[in-house]
Amino acid sequence: MPLSPEEINEIRRVLGREPTVEELAMFEAQWSEHCSYKSSRILLRLLPAESRYVVVGPGRDAPAVKLFKDFVVVFKIESHNHPSAVDPYDGAATGIGGIVRDILTLGAKPVALLDMLYMGEPVDPHANWLIRGIVKGISDYGNRIGVPTVAGDTWFDASFNTQPLVNVACVGVAPLNNIVLGSPRPGDLIVIMGNATGKDGLLGSSFASKPLAEDTDKEIGAVQVGDPLTEKLLIDSLQILVSKGLVKYIKDLGGGGLTTAISETCADHGLGAVIELDKMHTRQKLVPLELLVSESQERMLIVVEPSRLREVEEVLTSYDMPYSVIGYFTEDGLIRIFYKGAKVAEVPAKELARPRAVRRASHPPAEALKGLKPVYSLPQEPSYIESLVKLLSSPNIASKRWVYEQYDHEVGVRSVIKPGLGDAAVLRLLDGSLRGFAVKGDANPRYTSIDPFHGAANSVAECFRNLVAVGSKPIAIVDELNAGNPEKPDHFWYFEMMLKGVAWMAEELGLPVVGGKVSFYNEDYRGRQVKPTTTIVGVGRVQDVSKAMTMDLKEEGSAIAVVGVTYPELGGTEYLYRLFGLEEGEIPRPRPSSELRNAMFILKAVGMNMLNAVHDVGVGGLAVALAEMAILGNMGIEVSVDRIYARGVQRIDEILFSETQARYVVEVKSARVEEFKKLARRLGVHISIIGNVLDKPVFTISKGSKYILSADLSLLRDSYNSLERVIEGGV
Amino acid sequence: MKFPGTNCDEDVRHVLVDVFGLEAEIVWYKEFAVKQWDAVILPGGFSYGDWLRAGAIAARTHAVEELAEARYLGIPLLGICNGFQILVEVGLLPGALLYNDSGRFVCRWIRTVVERPRGPWLALARDGQELDMPIAHAEGRYYIDEESYNSLLLNAPVLRYLNGFNPNGSVHDIAGVGTEDGVVFGLMPHPERASEELLAPKMFSPGGRVIFESISYSLKRGW
Repeated sequence: MPLSPEEINEIRRVLGREPTVEELAMFEAQWSEHCSYKSSRILLRLLPAESRYVVVGPGRDAPAVKLFKDFVVVFKIESHNHPSAVDPYDGAATGIGGIVRDILTLGAKPVALLDMLYMGEPVDPHANWLIRGIVKGISDYGNRIGVPTVAGDTWFDASFNTQPLVNVACVGVAPLNNIVLGSPRPGDLIVIMGNATGKDGLLGSSFASKPLAEDTDKEIGAVQVGDPLTEKLLIDSLQILVSKGLVKYIKDLGGGGLTTAISETCADHGLGAVIELDKMHTRQKLVPLELLVSESQERMLIVVEPSRLREVEEVLTSYDMPYSVIGYFTEDGLIRIFYKGAKVAEVPAKELARPRAVRRASHPPAEALKGLKPVYSLPQEPSYIESLVKLLSSPNIASKRWVYEQYDHEVGVRSVIKPGLGDAAVLRLLDGSLRGFAVKGDANPRYTSIDPFHGAANSVAECFRNLVAVGSKPIAIVDELNAGNPEKPDHFWYFEMMLKGVAWMAEELGLPVVGGKVSFYNEDYRGRQVKPTTTIVGVGRVQDVSKAMTMDLKEEGSAIAVVGVTYPELGGTEYLYRLFGLEEGEIPRPRPSSELRNAMFILKAVGMNMLNAVHDVGVGGLAVALAEMAILGNMGIEVSVDRIYARGVQRIDEILFSETQARYVVEVKSARVEEFKKLARRLGVHISIIGNVLDKPVFTISKGSKYILSADLSLLRDSYNSLERVIEGGV
Repeated sequence: MKFPGTNCDEDVRHVLVDVFGLEAEIVWYKEFAVKQWDAVILPGGFSYGDWLRAGAIAARTHAVEELAEARYLGIPLLGICNGFQILVEVGLLPGALLYNDSGRFVCRWIRTVVERPRGPWLALARDGQELDMPIAHAEGRYYIDEESYNSLLLNAPVLRYLNGFNPNGSVHDIAGVGTEDGVVFGLMPHPERASEELLAPKMFSPGGRVIFESISYSLKRGW
């Protein structure tokens, strides 16, 4: 977003004179929404960020949380929505590059990637092109840097046909004592390592801070192009520099380029800097302004004590890693930029780094009322088998194998629970123990567009349940709020409500929100916002990865149980949309106290080795959860709908397809059923034993003595595996 | 041996050292001298970012002279995935590796079967033994013309995808090939990802173990 007249006046006041063109470019980059969080900063303070596990909270490029007393996880989420709309392949690829470099800034080793993709309908030709480009971009970049893509979330919706949401996350691990927590001091050298600076991505964060124009192809210069080989060499050489203790501080050159890296580092430490731009290694001839705001990828700033420079240079040279020493820190808080001896900018770091926060007006639009409308008087129930088949073949539910098989999810030999089998990925630390972590990303654009407060709260809860389902203890989350235009009150309202929903649920579940990102201006060229979406990525602690749970049924004769109470909550469900074309109604209510109680029960039952399989109940409801467990385990089931503990239901579809929160389906070992019931009674948890696992490929649900749904497993499997056909045959 | 862009080096070292108790080091290609080593592995990854085509640039570095030397000295050489692509580019193994039929990168567990196991890498494998391993590649479709196949591979150790598991459309379902003496062997699947029970999904077993057990056995017997 170009600077407003008020902002230019503010710059005049800060400098006490007219700004130079270079200074104006620096302010435009740094004061963009993307870099400064000016519209969101006041509200972001609502998020709970503390817990006894937090080592580094929000504010740095990435947070660090104690996973075990001697080990931290460093994880962060990022969006690359605008670049991916214009150039899906490079836009998505550079999103991966950026999030990995954030993790490197604390000296952690990146060990897992996640991608949360909210894309258009596969049958729409433009959306189909975007889908293929985005997935291939992530595949080509992520695979080449040797970090496995282990989990994610995928959603297809016409609202994203031209403006997809590409949210990516990275998890790093490090022994607590090895993370880089030093501070730069006056006299320390500023070294830029990595790719040579070029003209790509000029003012890219400014591009991301306004709506997409109709002729977006003209913005192609704002999209960066990735170079995964250099990124891999950055990972490898930083690992060496960190292990030798040669760097005091690391910062990514991401959005805002050199300007943001220098101004934030200076402002955070009360320092100034002297920079000689002509020392930068470049790909082509650039003028000072371009050097200041280029967002060329795969570049990092490292802070080195002058006495250690020679050792640093030796490491970088052996890795053929280009670098340049461009300046040093000073005490006076002023950033002075020189080019060939002439001063081109002199700006106070603090004022540059932190523009005044803006409190945006916020007002619900009339259509927000659709989230308050109870769902009643639905047409007669379609046949249950027809409904189940339609749901299983919905791209939002069907197996995402077409996506995750394009990612190397095995490299690093840490992936114990791989994509497709568990509710979350589980990785080992590979430190000689069986300790590890679980990680998952979640959102439901439909929920957040109907009811942003409760929808965002449900994203937090869904992520929490997924982490619990694999047998991990959730310890922290990061959030990505994808919203519309903050200057429009009826768009900003969605952002405000989503943020408050996350804050409330995170507080209730005792999960600190240790970092995150805000993406505004996600609207099409007509000014309609895409479905506002809250993406949550959470990490859980796993004491013994060999005991982690998957969702596939395993043993003939074991019992199938539902944990939690089912309510008639069809509003905003996949069922209501796929079968009746409705996207409205009261969405399933967040139930934090049930979440906590039921999660504790699941973790106890897993710890006591009572269960063979666990699956959280999410999109599609109970029937879909049961079908997924049967398909993946290649085992049949027979269950009775009468035994499902439900309250207030009037129709069977309310039991089968309601997306009531705080529920799980579990496979209980046949010899442990009585213990399981006793544990539930002791913890005050509602459970219902609803049937058994069969050794033949049939899927049956009965009511009384009658089957209401009976299908061959191969029919359900075929529907569940339909996504590849839909995407590959989509054009 | 590690090239810029190699990314399975630490995984292979983990398996050699932590799982099989061998002594192993990761050596940067510029510092590589073959005479110091009893056996050499080229791990997977994307050497030089797969620019041009997989393995092409690594196959034109100085380090390759060291590989030719290894062949001359009879030092066992194993190429995994990108390492296999490099050995083929160098000409130490016959054939070529082309883009997958699907045109996409693919990562999944598959089953293979060993034929004519021979040499240090397959010393302990049985003829016809089934090995489960994951693959992860975009350029893994093995191709060789019929004449070369008949003259070079009919008497050499070969790894084939089991019926229904060929992920890339390779000719004769080939997943890996060796020299006739089996001293040089290359394969697209990743044995280092299939060497621990913990990492094998249900229905699969860690089929890569036999390769590392074989080299361990062979070296201890003074290969």
